[in-house]
Amino acid sequence: MRHLDPTILVVVLGAAALSFAQPHMPGWVVYLLQIAIAASLPALGCMILLRSGLLSFGQGLYYFIGAYGVALVHAHLGISDAFLGILAGAAASILVAGLVGFFIARYRGIFFAMLTLAISMVVYGMAVKMDLFGRSDGLNVPRLSYLGFTPSRAWAQTSLFVFCVWVWAVFGIATHLYLRSRFGKLLTAIEDNETRVEYLGWSVRHAVHINTIVAAVLGSAGGALAAASARYADPSLAYWTTSGEFVFIVLIAGQANVLAPLFGSVFLETLRTYAAAFFPDEWQLVLGAVMLAIILFLPKGLGHLFALAGRALRPRRATAAPIEEDRT
Amino acid sequence: MNLALIILVDGISYAGWLFLVGIGLTLVFGVLRLVNIAHGGFYAIGAYVAAYAIGAAASYGLGAGPQLLLAFAGAVVVGGLIGFLVERTVLVRLYDHPEVLVLFATYALFLILEDVTKLVWGGASLYAFQPRNAFGTVAIGSLSYPVYDVATVVIAVLVALGTWFVLNRTRTGRCVTAVVHDREMSAAMGVNVSAIMTGTFVVGSMLGALAGAVTAPKIAVSPGIGVEVIVLAFAVVVIGGLGSIGGAVVGALVVGLARAFATHLFPDLAVFAVYAVMAVVLAIRPYGLFARPVARKI
Repeated sequence: MRHLDPTILVVVLGAAALSFAQPHMPGWVVYLLQIAIAASLPALGCMILLRSGLLSFGQGLYYFIGAYGVALVHAHLGISDAFLGILAGAAASILVAGLVGFFIARYRGIFFAMLTLAISMVVYGMAVKMDLFGRSDGLNVPRLSYLGFTPSRAWAQTSLFVFCVWVWAVFGIATHLYLRSRFGKLLTAIEDNETRVEYLGWSVRHAVHINTIVAAVLGSAGGALAAASARYADPSLAYWTTSGEFVFIVLIAGQANVLAPLFGSVFLETLRTYAAAFFPDEWQLVLGAVMLAIILFLPKGLGHLFALAGRALRPRRATAAPIEEDRT
Repeated sequence: MNLALIILVDGISYAGWLFLVGIGLTLVFGVLRLVNIAHGGFYAIGAYVAAYAIGAAASYGLGAGPQLLLAFAGAVVVGGLIGFLVERTVLVRLYDHPEVLVLFATYALFLILEDVTKLVWGGASLYAFQPRNAFGTVAIGSLSYPVYDVATVVIAVLVALGTWFVLNRTRTGRCVTAVVHDREMSAAMGVNVSAIMTGTFVVGSMLGALAGAVTAPKIAVSPGIGVEVIVLAFAVVVIGGLGSIGGAVVGALVVGLARAFATHLFPDLAVFAVYAVMAVVLAIRPYGLFARPVARKI
């Protein structure tokens, strides 16, 4: 029997623990976690793109599509089912990312970053002018039902939280398996050297295209959760600063594991909550300063702290340890 | 016929502004190999300093000309100082980091700069329309156009000529070109690469601040003006090819005319004109009009 993957175990146990702990947590912690969970999914999308060396400044586009998936399905079809809402957003973002992918899969580095940014800004520009998207005010999102089951007002918060947690668990595990698969390993190889990957018989462009679509689905799932939590969707979800936050999350957490964006996201939301409480007008400054400090002193992300701590705690061997290669 | 003239004049005036906004970005990219998101921050600082200087000068009873001179000089000096500090304290530590990380560091700097301007000047809008109104209008064919907007184009042309002259006709400029082509080789030949890089970043910041100062009399200077600018400036610069001065001129003209064309004929599409042009250009020439593709390594 193959032994159980520790990441999957942690995700399942964590999700179960959080589900049962919900009634004992204060409301603001529940809300903070919900928003953090929602934001960590598009960040996870950024992470899998970064695995192949591509920086996306446009994940906000799919966040936007996911959020409006829930809002529009309700506004026009009268469906308030959470699963259908997520599916609608995911289908729309597969379509959009499939089309956009043909164009952007050719680009690398700064060009990829800025083209994804430009595309999401075009959508933002359209959305603030279109009645379909409620212009700059956005649309309201109803209280959700789950496969025909509509929780009472008292249970709505709990059921939404449990839903968010398990949606994350499903997407987190799926992404983990995706990254562990042969295709997932290919992504890292693309970052190392594209030409060699092509000599091995793979099409880099197709791989990037598929990866863009996977990242888009993750982004839209996050957007659906965000809209359900905040109870509205507005065009600012597609604004480039929203996308910037997702990259920031990956940056502070590192890209070692699918759980990293979740930790990064919780860290960011906590930081934002406290910064906004203590420095209401200068929280961007605090955010920027923390970001800069992390980039300057922990360029591998906060996750690297664990590695450093582990190295410090590990007993010294008698012989000199080989100096770890520091790739920059 | 009249419409064509309006589109042409508007387009060129807008192109002049776009060039001013983009030139600092492309210069910094060419030499330092980083896309400076903080450029939008320098633009905002320049606009605020200019609006403040114009107000201060007006309260001392100075005329429109001295007001503008003070505003431009103040913006350039402040922008240059902050640029120097930023390069020496932050960027210099990041040159050997991956470009993604550096891009994000400039984003962090942008957030910081934006809140600093808000802290210094508050959240309310500053208005500095006096100098622009004082210059009145000039007749171009059958149009009457603000003199100030024509002057913007003249400033843009002067900046373009100045940059061209420095890069192609002076010793420093040749050193800069050498650093653009090969950093290590220039260092081996005795070029002080780190000084060139600092200097370029300072000049880039000054140009960003100057662009803001030139714009200040045309707009309500308020928080958030830097955000739009950085995306626009990038579009302009990427169309011409990152790091190419001539490319920035062509990019500004293309975007300026496209935008004027869309504004007057299809007002609803004006927002997309810029991005549509960028997408078309990049679809045909992935590295922009004037940049050479990078060879792939095996």
